[in-house]
Amino acid sequence: MGSGDIITPLVMGLLLGGLYALIALGLSMVFGVMRLINLAHGDLVALGSYGAYALMTVVGIDPIVGLVISVPAMFLLGLAIQKYLMGRAFAISSEAPLIIAFGISLVIQNANQIAWTPLSRALNTPYSHMSFTIGARQFPLSYLLDFAAGVVVMLALRYFLTSTYLGRAITAASQDKKAAQLMGINTNRVYGYAFAIAMASAAIAGVFLGMTFPFTPTSGVSFLTIAFGTVIIGGLGSMLGTFIGGMILGVFQTLGGYFLGPAFQMLIVYVIVLVILAVRPQGLFGR
Amino acid sequence: MSDNVQLKISNIDVFHGTFQALWDVSLEVNGGEMLALIGANTSGKTTLLDTVSGLLHPAKGTIQFEGKDISRMDPYQIVELGITQVPEGRRIFPEMSVLDNLIIGSYSAGARSKKMENLKQVYEHFPRLKERGKQIAKTLSGGEQQMLAIGRGLMADPKLMLIDEMSLGLAPIVIDELFKALREIKKRGITILFVEQNVRRTLQEADRAYILETGRVALSGTTAQLCEEDQVKKAYFGTDVCGI
Amino acid sequence: MGFKTLRQKINLVLTVTCVVVLAALPVIGAPQSWLLYAFLFFVYLAMANMWNLLAGYSGLISLCQPAFLGLAGYTLAIGTWVGIPWWAGLLGGAIVAGVFALLISIPVFRLSGIYFAIGTLVVPEALRMVFYLWRPVGGQMHGAGAGYMIKEIGGVSTDLMYWWALVVGIGSILLVRLILRSNLGLGLAAIRDNERAAASCGVSVFKLKLYTFIVAAVVTGLAGGVYYLYQGYIEPSATFNVKWTMTLLLATVIGGIRTEEGPVIGTIVVVFLYFLLARYAGYSLLIQGIILIGIMLLSPQGIVGVLRRSRVYRSVTRFASQ
Repeated sequence: MGSGDIITPLVMGLLLGGLYALIALGLSMVFGVMRLINLAHGDLVALGSYGAYALMTVVGIDPIVGLVISVPAMFLLGLAIQKYLMGRAFAISSEAPLIIAFGISLVIQNANQIAWTPLSRALNTPYSHMSFTIGARQFPLSYLLDFAAGVVVMLALRYFLTSTYLGRAITAASQDKKAAQLMGINTNRVYGYAFAIAMASAAIAGVFLGMTFPFTPTSGVSFLTIAFGTVIIGGLGSMLGTFIGGMILGVFQTLGGYFLGPAFQMLIVYVIVLVILAVRPQGLFGR
Repeated sequence: MSDNVQLKISNIDVFHGTFQALWDVSLEVNGGEMLALIGANTSGKTTLLDTVSGLLHPAKGTIQFEGKDISRMDPYQIVELGITQVPEGRRIFPEMSVLDNLIIGSYSAGARSKKMENLKQVYEHFPRLKERGKQIAKTLSGGEQQMLAIGRGLMADPKLMLIDEMSLGLAPIVIDELFKALREIKKRGITILFVEQNVRRTLQEADRAYILETGRVALSGTTAQLCEEDQVKKAYFGTDVCGI
Repeated sequence: MGFKTLRQKINLVLTVTCVVVLAALPVIGAPQSWLLYAFLFFVYLAMANMWNLLAGYSGLISLCQPAFLGLAGYTLAIGTWVGIPWWAGLLGGAIVAGVFALLISIPVFRLSGIYFAIGTLVVPEALRMVFYLWRPVGGQMHGAGAGYMIKEIGGVSTDLMYWWALVVGIGSILLVRLILRSNLGLGLAAIRDNERAAASCGVSVFKLKLYTFIVAAVVTGLAGGVYYLYQGYIEPSATFNVKWTMTLLLATVIGGIRTEEGPVIGTIVVVFLYFLLARYAGYSLLIQGIILIGIMLLSPQGIVGVLRRSRVYRSVTRFASQ
């Protein structure tokens, strides 16, 4: 390892960052508003992947087109989870939301496994394995699509949070819950919508993830770790910060894989997360 | 006594967990008046305002606004009805701009349609907010933040404004500006219930006052009436206030 | 502790009888399945008691337990390959787990509840990969996963392993009781109630949490070592697996988090479930997850919570707690 040019992994890391941001944006927003890190987020992303897989293999719909179905479906599922599970959990005890999220996580993992076996799956479309060239170098097209999707979702969320009443309400509630309530904001409903939006973004993330890498029922943990690492580096609650965090994490990972070998790629992410937690838990852009 | 009772608090007990903060408190606010709530830190003033706003609920007793029982309502519903609170410590949204803070004040359905109208009014009361529209709220001075908090409250198109400790930490000249704005707001027909520790200033501005002591109503009445109580004069007011 | 009252004497006699009966099971020829049941019970009980200590009494929702039991197990296994006797490997493994807890406390303790949970979730995953890639002793890998047989234990009777488990399990109950009644326990209660207030009273929050974390790691490691001693084989994906965490969580929550009896009752249920669901291995996490969610929503205080509302239970436990 170490031979060949370093530009390719560098660029791939940056592009991959867009994908990582996609995975993390929902988590970041939910934490900003509800101070809840949804342990089940990674598995919900995997659910998005499997959902797209189901649409693809059973009905023959292209995964990106299938988003038209999966995004609203996951949105509604998010509203339901918040209303019937997580919302109640907050009132029960301080550990209840965590434990319930843990339960949800494993239920989803096992359900995916029952439906699709532990074999790894991938969303293989005609274009997901194509590559494009810049100069003398080749890059996978899926990475570029991931990056584009990441940018689009990031900008959409940013616009939503700053320019719509509901988005502003979510932002306000994340900065001062009591004051938000005094503004006439129904914080319970706002939490529901925040959670649902996070789920919708998880659906999108799941599709693009599935087109880029193969996935298994237990992939959720790695997704959660990536999301968590991204959010920690970039700072919670900031959409742009999360995006940059994703790119930083992506670059570290690809460069690590370049120097140490591909088997170490995921391990590097874990170590980075632990190191950052040890040194600067509020992230580079955090407050 | 006036028939124009807008807010009627009747014999409420309010608890924080197992700790009782308010004991059998009754209070009436007349439409269009400026009513003061005076008392020391531990008197339960903020608890009373929070209860009216729906953040807390009375264990006993009722609160009625314009004839409707609001004791069990959620905070957002109470804002819809026309009661808005400018909380203690201002509690503006620190990372949002001045303009965004004002806009979020008009979140409730009734206020949204009158957003532009109310915004114009707020700028008339506080021209400085218009100048600083794009500035991030946490960078404003204390006085400007208080103006923003009041402006934000106005954006909710209220009939009754609750203001908690407006003058805390502010210079007298700023406090003067703020009270001037409150007088203008009152002129528009909005009822103001404000909580203060600064007794002298409060009595100069208020029509009537209630004095709270450790969770109970100790005294109430107009400035003149309160000044007739000898003990009260000595304990709370001092002669220069009542010499008005 | 003075055994002055009659109640206390009766209580002591009852407890000792129970333990003696359980200890005698192998000797009196109880069926193998009973022994396996009891063995698992003691192993899980120790781990559940520790998890309860962390999550219930110290506010540390640790998802990191597989790391401790796995490291201890690997210490045992690798030890037997380099000539260290199994009992030394057992104890050494527990110590390794404790040292590891000390090491990871540096990154992970800066975090509160939620962050702490994710931080601790990452650790076993990382270890799984480490042990998948790293082959400290022995030759080429055959097949997937760096699994190790535990050597040189042919002569160790399963009865002995059973008794080790019993000692660890019962010991964990006594340990929890001891801690809760000590200054450490008092400090933990204060921290759980209001961390900032406790800190301003001079309670060293970090130190107390750290001690608890290390103690829990050591005992979990010991129980894990005993488990792998019995199983005779260890490999990364089953060891550093969230299934362990689910078992412990479920045992504590079903029984009653933040109670002393909770883990005992919960573990009985969980071991029973284990055998019941053995046929449905593919569905076990699904079912356990649904039970977990259900219990948290419907009866967050677990079985103990339900029992405490009945007067019979209250008089029995008043009896037992003296």
